[in-house]
Amino acid sequence: MRCKLCLSVFALFLLFVVLPVFYVFGDTVLNWTSLYNNLASFDLSNLELLLKSILIASMVGFISTILGVIIGFLIYKTNLRGRNFFKVVLLLPLFIAPYIWAVAWKDLFYLMFNNTNFIYSVSGMILVLTTVFTPLSFLIIGSALANIDSAMEESGLVITKFGRVVVKIILPLIKTAIFTSFVLVFIFSISEFSVPAFLGVQVFTTEIFKQFSAFYNHSLAVFQSMLLVVICMVLLVTERKYISGSPFLSIGSKGTTSKTYQLQSKNKYGYLFIGFWFVASILLPLIILVSQAFRNGIGILEKAFVLLLPTFFTSFILALSGAALIVVIGFAVAYFTFRNPGTEMKKIFDWTLLIVFAIPSIIFAISLIKFYNRPAFNFIYAGFAIIVIGYAGKFSFISYKVIENSLKQIPKSFLEVASLEGIKPLSQLWNIIFPFVLPAMLASFVIGFVFSLEELGMTIMLYPPGSEIMPIKVFTIMANAPQSLTSSMILIVFSITLFTILIFYLIVNMFLKKYYLPE
Amino acid sequence: MNKGKLLLAILLSNMLLSCNSNSNEVVVYTSVDQIFSEPILKDFEKETGIKVKAVFDTEETKSTGVLNRLIAEKDNPQCDLFWSGDPMRAIVLKQKGITSPYRSHVADDINPVFKDPENHWTGFSARARVLIYNKKLLPEKDVPQSIFDLTKEKYKGKVVIANPLFGTTTFHFAALFTLLGDEKAKEFLAALEKNKVVIASSNGDVKKRVVQGEAVCGLTDTDDANEALKERADIGIVFLDQKPLGLGSLIMPNTVCLIKNSHNAENAKRLFDYLISKETEAKLAQSCAQMPLHKGVSVPVNVPSLDNIIPMKIDYEKTAEKLNSIVKILEQFSRYDKK
Repeated sequence: MRCKLCLSVFALFLLFVVLPVFYVFGDTVLNWTSLYNNLASFDLSNLELLLKSILIASMVGFISTILGVIIGFLIYKTNLRGRNFFKVVLLLPLFIAPYIWAVAWKDLFYLMFNNTNFIYSVSGMILVLTTVFTPLSFLIIGSALANIDSAMEESGLVITKFGRVVVKIILPLIKTAIFTSFVLVFIFSISEFSVPAFLGVQVFTTEIFKQFSAFYNHSLAVFQSMLLVVICMVLLVTERKYISGSPFLSIGSKGTTSKTYQLQSKNKYGYLFIGFWFVASILLPLIILVSQAFRNGIGILEKAFVLLLPTFFTSFILALSGAALIVVIGFAVAYFTFRNPGTEMKKIFDWTLLIVFAIPSIIFAISLIKFYNRPAFNFIYAGFAIIVIGYAGKFSFISYKVIENSLKQIPKSFLEVASLEGIKPLSQLWNIIFPFVLPAMLASFVIGFVFSLEELGMTIMLYPPGSEIMPIKVFTIMANAPQSLTSSMILIVFSITLFTILIFYLIVNMFLKKYYLPE
Repeated sequence: MNKGKLLLAILLSNMLLSCNSNSNEVVVYTSVDQIFSEPILKDFEKETGIKVKAVFDTEETKSTGVLNRLIAEKDNPQCDLFWSGDPMRAIVLKQKGITSPYRSHVADDINPVFKDPENHWTGFSARARVLIYNKKLLPEKDVPQSIFDLTKEKYKGKVVIANPLFGTTTFHFAALFTLLGDEKAKEFLAALEKNKVVIASSNGDVKKRVVQGEAVCGLTDTDDANEALKERADIGIVFLDQKPLGLGSLIMPNTVCLIKNSHNAENAKRLFDYLISKETEAKLAQSCAQMPLHKGVSVPVNVPSLDNIIPMKIDYEKTAEKLNSIVKILEQFSRYDKK
């Protein structure tokens, strides 16, 4: 019964989100003339760019993942002083668009070294993207580290040294999280356009954008995007092959007691590492933004606030609707695959969610326009529904994975006993499954909310005329506004995002304590 | 049953929100910076009572987001009027059959050079391509006066231009190809490449790099230069090639065009007339130093008169056609500075 409801949710997702993408892909592939032209246009230089993009995305994925392991270990597995503070502040780069970080990094290099040659290079791009995506790695790997059962580590420590425990026990236990971190950061990096465009680095996404914006060749742009999707799919196949059935991303740690290592004299090295990363990757770029915002006094901040004020309500409602839909889809799909593991249907769910997730935002937006912009669908296209559909398409994959893994952590025995006792599925869902997956659902909601709130590439193509949405306003104003005004607007968006998450956290905490986690 | 009702309510509310056949509104897409275009559109709303629903563009998408949206929406247009910061985008739309002709009598005294012969687009308030230089880094006597000076050895690696595949820089290069002929223009590009001209992401980026001193001078538009001056940057502005018989400076009018099969054609015509009026030109001269195309518009002292500038003598349509044939050359050129 419940699975039927989940299937219905997925069917609606297929109909409203996936069908437009397949419609445009099909239109590109099935038109023989355009397919021939597109294939003919794909030359050696395209291949070089594709390989370059893969290399850069691999580097970013690799470095971010290594940093994620180190930072995650220091914060989740040691007694490092102030680790709860770092646990929160090191996530800050996720709340600001990558393009803004690129601008801040460039200004920082100019201020510190009076030279920006390094930042306008492949190395500079890797640096910026690594600082932007390391928090994601740290979040994924940190939560996996926090879920390691202490008994395993302690048994290992009885017979061998710490280093060997790390290599033989800890790393194998978190290999799924490590691979997942790499895959996610790789996908985010390879489909990122704004940072390489700003830094003047030519990659495959800038090539796609060029076809789109300089040549107005939508067909070739869609065709090239399909290649990106294929690469992401190959990566996912590899993931399935090596870590089939293992957890993806753990949120919450019910039933496990994680071991905490005492740093003692090594505390200072831990501090040094975390402190350096915090200062270099977050504090300095933020200081640049703050100094630019206040360069001409507090009045500019006020002006920025007035400019953004009309955007608050619409942006919040859209982000909240998007996040809610993302969680519903994520839960429905994850619950179905949990109840029906190893089925063909699960594979279909995986692929369809991934395909939509991996498409560059602008191409996804064009697909939605081409499918929905017809009189019969005007009620969707000309309103806000099209944006919420877009958010659902772009971010449901993450939500699905987060919730799926949380479901995997439910002891099978709980549900078996419940079934033997004759407890109805709905009751099992409410009394057993929800308490387990609620933290994951809430985490998905926050991730969905933040990503939806700052989404630009797709929203700029879809927002209804006359409406005001926060990221659109910031980016349309920044084109020719003084630097101080732009930085002020970015800081306001940043503060509001943080404030909302804090309020949300307090409300949820209260709710959890009252209904699910009684002392 | 309740779920069904809820779904129906959501659909209905969205339909009501999305209803776009209201006769007292006009939908405008614009690639002109929001900070300058929005006040004009709000004034139109106040003066006529017609609600303006606008879609603005971003620097991040090289201001081509709305153009691509218009192309994608061709079969079921949502937009009534497109206001572009240059003629090129309007010409692209005309070539793709997206615009509808309209001859406004408000534009009767505007030079025909700035209007489409078939009335698909009309120009008003113009910007120019200029050279800005950092006064601290470049003495007055060394300031380039011709675009060809940028290929001189003494400026090697010190000049910045925006990506020639996008925006007004594209049009500038297309104009050079039109005036110089393909061979000479290619030689010029090769000389720029040899002189290691730096390619920035946008005109705004050019401005920023010159203001910060990362480059000594660069090519940009008058509105970007004016913004730098408003921010009290220590820069100078030069209209290049102003000697008699010189190439002249590229003048780029804003353009406005009606979208074919739009829902609010009459309101769009009223906004069209409003945008190309003397009053709007005066406001744009005030806010972003744009030069009026009508005669007798009062402007601030910092806004140059078109009468005092030697313009590049080009046909905008032919220049746009030229662009189609040289875009591969520009693509090749833009790659040289890529990392």
